[in-house]
Amino acid sequence: MRELRLGHADKRRAAPRADGNPLREGLRLERVPDPHVMVLFGATGDLSHRKVIPALAQLWRSNLLPQDWMLVAVGRRPYDDATFRAEIAASLAERSRTPLEPETARLFLERIVYHQGDFGDDAAFDTLTARLDEMDRAHGTNGNRLFYLATQSSAFPLIVAQLGRTGLDHEVHGGGWRRIVIEKPFGRDLDSAKRLNREVGKVFRESQVYRIDHYLGKETVRNLMVFRFGNGIFEPLWNRRYVDHVQITMAESIGVEERGAFYEETGATRDVIQNHLLQLLTLVAMEPPATFEADALRDEKVKVLRAIPEFAPADVARNVVRGQYGPGWVAAEPVRGYRDEDKVDPLSETETFLAARFQIDDWRWSGVPFYLRAGKRLPKRATEIAIQFRDVPHRLFRDAAVDPEPNLLAIRIQPDEGILLRFGSKVPGLGLDIRTVTMDFTYGSAFAVDSPDAYETLLLDAMLGDASLFTRADEVEAAWSIATPIVGSWVDAPAPDFPNYAAGTWGPEAAETLIERDGRRWRRI
Amino acid sequence: MHGPDGIARQDPPALGEPILRWSSRTNTLAGIEAALAQVWTSTSLTTTGADGAPERRVAARTSVLNLVVIARQPELGEHAGSVIRMLTGRHPSRTIIVSSADPDGPPWLDARVQAECVLPRADAPETCAEFIDLVAGGETGRHVAAIVAPLLIHDLPVTLWWPGDPPLASAPALDLLGMADRLVVDGAHWSGDGLDRLRALATIVNDHDLARGGLAVSDFAMLRQSRWREAIASSFDRPELRPFLADIRSITVRYAKGPGAGAADTNVIKPLYHVAWLASRLGMEISESLAGTPGGPEGVAGPAPDGGRRGTLLAGRRRVAIALVPVASTMPPGTTLAVQIDARRLRESLSVAVTAEAEAVIVRTAVNGRDLPTRRFMAPRRTEVELLAETIESVGRDPVAVAALLMASALAGPS
Repeated sequence: MRELRLGHADKRRAAPRADGNPLREGLRLERVPDPHVMVLFGATGDLSHRKVIPALAQLWRSNLLPQDWMLVAVGRRPYDDATFRAEIAASLAERSRTPLEPETARLFLERIVYHQGDFGDDAAFDTLTARLDEMDRAHGTNGNRLFYLATQSSAFPLIVAQLGRTGLDHEVHGGGWRRIVIEKPFGRDLDSAKRLNREVGKVFRESQVYRIDHYLGKETVRNLMVFRFGNGIFEPLWNRRYVDHVQITMAESIGVEERGAFYEETGATRDVIQNHLLQLLTLVAMEPPATFEADALRDEKVKVLRAIPEFAPADVARNVVRGQYGPGWVAAEPVRGYRDEDKVDPLSETETFLAARFQIDDWRWSGVPFYLRAGKRLPKRATEIAIQFRDVPHRLFRDAAVDPEPNLLAIRIQPDEGILLRFGSKVPGLGLDIRTVTMDFTYGSAFAVDSPDAYETLLLDAMLGDASLFTRADEVEAAWSIATPIVGSWVDAPAPDFPNYAAGTWGPEAAETLIERDGRRWRRI
Repeated sequence: MHGPDGIARQDPPALGEPILRWSSRTNTLAGIEAALAQVWTSTSLTTTGADGAPERRVAARTSVLNLVVIARQPELGEHAGSVIRMLTGRHPSRTIIVSSADPDGPPWLDARVQAECVLPRADAPETCAEFIDLVAGGETGRHVAAIVAPLLIHDLPVTLWWPGDPPLASAPALDLLGMADRLVVDGAHWSGDGLDRLRALATIVNDHDLARGGLAVSDFAMLRQSRWREAIASSFDRPELRPFLADIRSITVRYAKGPGAGAADTNVIKPLYHVAWLASRLGMEISESLAGTPGGPEGVAGPAPDGGRRGTLLAGRRRVAIALVPVASTMPPGTTLAVQIDARRLRESLSVAVTAEAEAVIVRTAVNGRDLPTRRFMAPRRTEVELLAETIESVGRDPVAVAALLMASALAGPS
């Protein structure tokens, strides 16, 4: 049985946006998008099978896709509808977040058709256009189209150009909307990101473009905004006067697995720092937006990125540490080093770890360092934001055996999503001993419900035209302005000490030095 | 106080399924409070670990609200209890279910205090909640507020669920409402046409003004029709149809009349809410309420001989005819069967017909007699568990629901 899902109060929109329709105000159910055809490029690829189509199936199961919705799966393989549906059925059986009942799965698969074609083949796009027009007539989709690029990033410009050539980007009054969702990586440095933005901009208006960073769709990341701006007690402390520093950690215990070739071209900085970690940083550091509208939110995030000074090569050497894992032990299992992974150069200088110290030059954060670290083959999987507050200004409890530790607020993104507040407390007894204790809120205890997958959230948003959780062109470029000088400085600077940390440790020694130099230390997670 | 009679089953709990961790009986308020204090310090809250040794896996009490159920009959209390237990993992609360019995007998109290836990994930501690099932007899049953007040957890919101036919205007009810943040009712289950209780509810909403924080009200009868409202609203998402909202000429709601039931015996709360929601969203005013309509018996407020209720709204200076029309049907009495909205603008006409079919709501829209593509919205009937969950997740007053409720009461006219 398909289910009905409510729009939760903690969502970025408490109710679907009214958009000028007074009847929309206060409706608590998630709004069902307009009937439309979604066109998925790269439909036979790993991302489509692992993430995009299972998310669509969940939306269908929750009655959040319109009954007239259709998916055109575009790929190069010579499939027909039946072959592709069979492949998707097998994929869903393995990967669905919640198992689909057979009848629900059958109805969902009926909404999918396969369209074979090479992205450079004009005829394939001409027939696609004719097919979409036919679907409008058959299903009443009124020209509404959502294009989703889940291909290699090198194919993005070609597909966008084909959509432009065939007029599939054109929005006409009463003739439906056209939107395009573009997966990461959006460029591999500032120049390529600008080029790609230009290519996309030749065809689509910025308001039609949805650049996806799935991290922004995660429930706890979205809750970060609720936590900051929906509670009165934290925001007054959220500044240089009370915060000593901020640490953002994204640790993975896995290695590169089957993605050796991809990772060789990417590295930790491009893979997660430029997007996920800088996005988390902006959400921690941004000013409250005037409204929860997409552009108001993104304006504030861009301001933060622009307030981070670009690194000169000397700054990179002083503020950034890169690392690469060698052989070691993770979870009581021996694991090989990065250079021994499949499809990895035995002399590779690709970084699998990065620690960096950023400064935000604005009124709120001046002088407060933001330490970011991300790496593969670390001891455990954990993503966390830690706000370390300043020490008390005066040591009142001089006779206590131990000084109380400064307060800390830790926001766990994954796993065990939750929020922890650390403070000092008197140990019961006649003496005056102080011990650090924690108040620990875990989502699992307070809300024992499944959160939607980030892709479900973001796909629904794109269908509804809500771009709040997508990155804008200037935001992508601002993030690349920070990451490009870092990767650029390494082009001519070999990393002779690679591998410089053993798998199963917290990165190279230099990462410890980076923070200890400031009289601080990484949080033990 | 009786001793604990079912402490801490030793079986490891199944994932997601509530398990009884504590049960005791008492017949005094002090006994209840003592049991509540004891339940979370008991060293018996253990389960058998993988190696066979006792293992404490119970989290500290988790509560997000006080949920008070006033059940005038024990069977209503049992039903409410079974609904709430389905929500233990999702919304752990202190639940107090108060039933009355034997009103003319001597005063007495019988309470069962229970703790139920849920294992949300295999690697997580259990999330636990408390249930107090309380039956009050004789004079004690007439002072429910005095029983409930000392059992509430401080600083947590109080939701008062009053299934059945609540005596909303009575003094004991007002005492209880004084300690509540939210009142939950189901207008579709009120007796008769339900309008007297609707008026009483509107009075309560008005009396709890915002200066006091405002009592939030949730009516399952309104929540159940959310997908209808979504379907109606969707028609006007099309920018070219939106101007018709200012030129609506009539709103007609057809609802199921029970076989042989007289018009006054059929609950009209759900169909009335449709008209009230549209009228309040579109800023309409009442010209003639549904009580004293031209269709009614001469000089007497109420339905016409065919059971239909008719009235008139004003949208600016334009008159909007409204009607609730009973239709013989196999559906439960009071069920909405169709909402018809007709609008005329300059020389153009719009017709929106919303109907239900199995688990779907279907919207048929026509402009100048030309049909637009039909839209279907899946709308499976929502269980009380889902409705209660939505209610609990709501925060504060829902101004749209309040406006619809007050408009519905005004449309009902005086009793």
